[in-house]
Amino acid sequence: MSAPVRPTAAPPRHDLLRASRFDWVLIFAALALSVLGCVLIASAGIGAGDGTGPARRQLLAVLLSLLIAYAITRVEARSLRAWTPALYVVSLLALLLPYTPAGVSIAGARAWVALPIGFTIQPSEFAKLALVCALATTLAGRPRDGAVPNAAVVRALALAALPLAIVLVGNDTGTAMIMTGIVAAVMVVAGVSWRWLAGLAAVTAVVAGAAIALGVLADYQMQRLLSFLDPTADPYGAGLNTLQARIAVGSGGIAGRGLLAGPQTQGGFVPVNDSDFVFSVAAEELGLLGSLIVLLLIATIVWRGLRIAADASDMFGRLVAVGVVAWFGLQAFENIGMNLGVMPVTGVTLPFVSYGGSSMIAAWLGIGLLQLVRLRSSGGAPARLGHTRRGP
Amino acid sequence: MSAPAPERTRRPAGSPPPPHKPFALSDSRGRLRALIIAFAFILTLFGARLVELQALRGPELAEAALNQRILTQDIPATRGEISDIAGRPLATSIEVRDITADQTLVVDPAQTAAVLGPILGMDPAELQPLLTGESRFTYLKKATDPQVWRTIQTWRSDPANDPEVLQAIFSERRTIRDYPNGQLASTVIGFTNSEGHGAVGLEAALDDRLAGTPGSVTFEQAAGGTEIPTSDVDQVDPVAGSDVRLTLDSDLQWMAQEALAKQVKASGSDFGTAVILEVGTGRILAMATAPAFDPLNPDTVKPEDWANKPATWAMEPGSTAKLLTLSAVLNEGKAKPRSHFSVPGALYRGGQWFKDSHEHGGLQLTLAGILAESSNIGTVLASEKIGGKKLYEYLKKFGVGEPSGLDFPGEQTGYVPEPADWSDTTFPTLAFGQGMSLTALQIANAAATIGNDGVPVTPRLIDSYTAPDGTVEQTAPVEGEPVLTPDTAQTMQSMMQMVVGEGGTAKVAEVPGYLMGGKTGTAQRYDEKCGCYSGYTGSFVGMAPADDPQLVVGAWFDNPQGSYYGGEVAAPVVQKLMTAALANHNVPPTGGKRANFPLDWGGLS
Repeated sequence: MSAPVRPTAAPPRHDLLRASRFDWVLIFAALALSVLGCVLIASAGIGAGDGTGPARRQLLAVLLSLLIAYAITRVEARSLRAWTPALYVVSLLALLLPYTPAGVSIAGARAWVALPIGFTIQPSEFAKLALVCALATTLAGRPRDGAVPNAAVVRALALAALPLAIVLVGNDTGTAMIMTGIVAAVMVVAGVSWRWLAGLAAVTAVVAGAAIALGVLADYQMQRLLSFLDPTADPYGAGLNTLQARIAVGSGGIAGRGLLAGPQTQGGFVPVNDSDFVFSVAAEELGLLGSLIVLLLIATIVWRGLRIAADASDMFGRLVAVGVVAWFGLQAFENIGMNLGVMPVTGVTLPFVSYGGSSMIAAWLGIGLLQLVRLRSSGGAPARLGHTRRGP
Repeated sequence: MSAPAPERTRRPAGSPPPPHKPFALSDSRGRLRALIIAFAFILTLFGARLVELQALRGPELAEAALNQRILTQDIPATRGEISDIAGRPLATSIEVRDITADQTLVVDPAQTAAVLGPILGMDPAELQPLLTGESRFTYLKKATDPQVWRTIQTWRSDPANDPEVLQAIFSERRTIRDYPNGQLASTVIGFTNSEGHGAVGLEAALDDRLAGTPGSVTFEQAAGGTEIPTSDVDQVDPVAGSDVRLTLDSDLQWMAQEALAKQVKASGSDFGTAVILEVGTGRILAMATAPAFDPLNPDTVKPEDWANKPATWAMEPGSTAKLLTLSAVLNEGKAKPRSHFSVPGALYRGGQWFKDSHEHGGLQLTLAGILAESSNIGTVLASEKIGGKKLYEYLKKFGVGEPSGLDFPGEQTGYVPEPADWSDTTFPTLAFGQGMSLTALQIANAAATIGNDGVPVTPRLIDSYTAPDGTVEQTAPVEGEPVLTPDTAQTMQSMMQMVVGEGGTAKVAEVPGYLMGGKTGTAQRYDEKCGCYSGYTGSFVGMAPADDPQLVVGAWFDNPQGSYYGGEVAAPVVQKLMTAALANHNVPPTGGKRANFPLDWGGLS
């Protein structure tokens, strides 16, 4: 070390410029949620007798995710578009991995893969991202290309149908719902005609109704989906999660019980309260104030993401941004909704907050994509939704 | 897509829609706005729901949460200890843990079994099925030493170990009854049931004293049933039960059980019982039954073998009852030890011939001789001097058909028919100890009454109770109305020496260095199965020193197969026990001379 070494190169000027053009509000909102998630996981972990191990692993996942998110902002949007077909195919293959001997089932959903190095990954988290890119590529067409041609809509539907089918076969109803939402949001913003949209909505409703009527869903799935309507009907079975989450949320009151001091959390009454029901920990230990802050942070991410979408200089960027935002927003609403007993219980995580490395990395990849779109747009200058800065 | 899409009707009416209007970025902004409004709407709904749950319904849900967590558990009270007269424990309570599992929490049954097996001292292959399944509660091993649970906790707290492996393992604390001396006094002490309450014997009789009052603890409990560390605890401490000190002497008790067991085996008896009583205090120093049983595994024998036979088995006493009959004759002043009786070879009473155990011609016996040689005919003749009514009165005073006052569970009172129900043969039959029933304890206590100069003392097994606060409640001798005058009693004591002397039926009962008195009994045995007499009950009840009685020892053998005479089957056992009891009790020899009444008079026998 004594030998003179080349002084560490200062970051190139354009790098600093890039960083200054990031949407830092978005980053801080996502970071705040991620850190809060680690704290809540620590509390849930201590309550369950697992100690702070899971929280420390989660913190590691956050740091890793930040690096990956930064890396993706360095990709050229054009090459992202070029890479999309490959990403899509890889994500489809990955979705099939749970059906290999390495696959792991949790709560009836075949959605995890055990890696030889000792942790599991959930390919469906990444499949959502790949789906967003694939839909954006297909539906953006060439810039100012006019209305979305029917062929593109059909292509987009086909691209969506494949991963959707795989997760549905794997009983991952939650992911299927989120994917459907993403497709809908991207199609709406892409300019797919209302006729198409109305028709698709009708078809989706009919298919879902038929699936229920024909008993395609297993009994336990139906019970779990519907139990939120009346959790007291089966308080120790299908209604357990809903009921216990509601009790924990209510028990937090306005000011909360204090970190590590929520009796329902520390007593382990709410199942999986480090991942799917982590919001109940925030609500019990941090109270109404804490849960409103979580809600506001989610809202900030959605707001900033939609702003980036609005400011995007091309349709591809806008659709990527909308897809990512729709994913965050819908998943957060579904997750918080089931914690509040207003949505059916499906196994989806609260982005940035729930325990899980795959979910965390995928969410920060989403943040990276949003930044990428922003860098590609008009220099990250402030833009207001609803104000047309470029003429038609 | 040839027709204009509905949303385009919003366009200014003046500009006709082109057939293929390009969908521009600016157009999608309107749709973006719709998305924003939708998100904002859902967000508002959730905010409202949060306010509803946390602010408006918060207190109600918090109470629901509390009700779910609150749990009251009994804290078992420590059961009192039962010890012998010297404080040596006979029954104690020890803390144990039942190791349990919640199968739904087991991640890998094979791995858990492999770790847990050596700790529990169980084969992992036998453990693994107990860890596999959907049961929330399964016993893995009951009544383990508390150290086993500490080992499990230590293993868990070791950061080198995977906490998941033993996460499904729980334990329940309870106390179990231990009988450190095994079969010693098991028929007296009994045992407790699975709830820890007395089921049999003194454990049952003294349950109110021994059990104590359970306390309770109210705490907030986690979903898995463990206590939430931060919760408030409301505790009512349990009150331990009282300790009980018995009058039993472990050494004598053990010796009695051993001697009985040996003789039961040698004689082929169904069972044997023995009692050692302290004269004047009523303290029972030994109360033995053979065979006894293991109080930790009582189910290995039939329930009737749990019985404390000296108190619960009433039998026809046979010749030992002559002590009662002749005491009555003496006390009524109708005869003296030297009084002459002409005893024929057979006696016709109530249409029936009565005989003695050995065929003989006419005998000329004194009253002392009648007792020493145990002549049925002589006893009948002597009893006729006071009459049946008087005899009945004395039998009642001696406690026949009356509770002994020991109050042992299942204790028998014995039975003597009331004179109104007598047939013509009842009176002579009762005189020599048939046609009525007594327990061994009653016979021994009747002998002790004679030894105590005619004053009966209630037999007792309890020496003292010690409350948890240390207060001692000592029992005291309870004397009854005198049955005999001291004079009569002392005369009987002297006459009883003749039984053990030359010409008596139990010379083997002599204890070297001491004056020994006693009475044999060889009774026809009433068999409930056939409702007839079948076999014999051989017995001997002795007292020493016979000129100043301190101890009474009795032994009974039911249905011996070889020699059944009390003097042969029971007297040697009594001799052995009396020798030990005198030494154990530090009773000095009196140095008195053996009474020497003539057994017969005049002519040839």
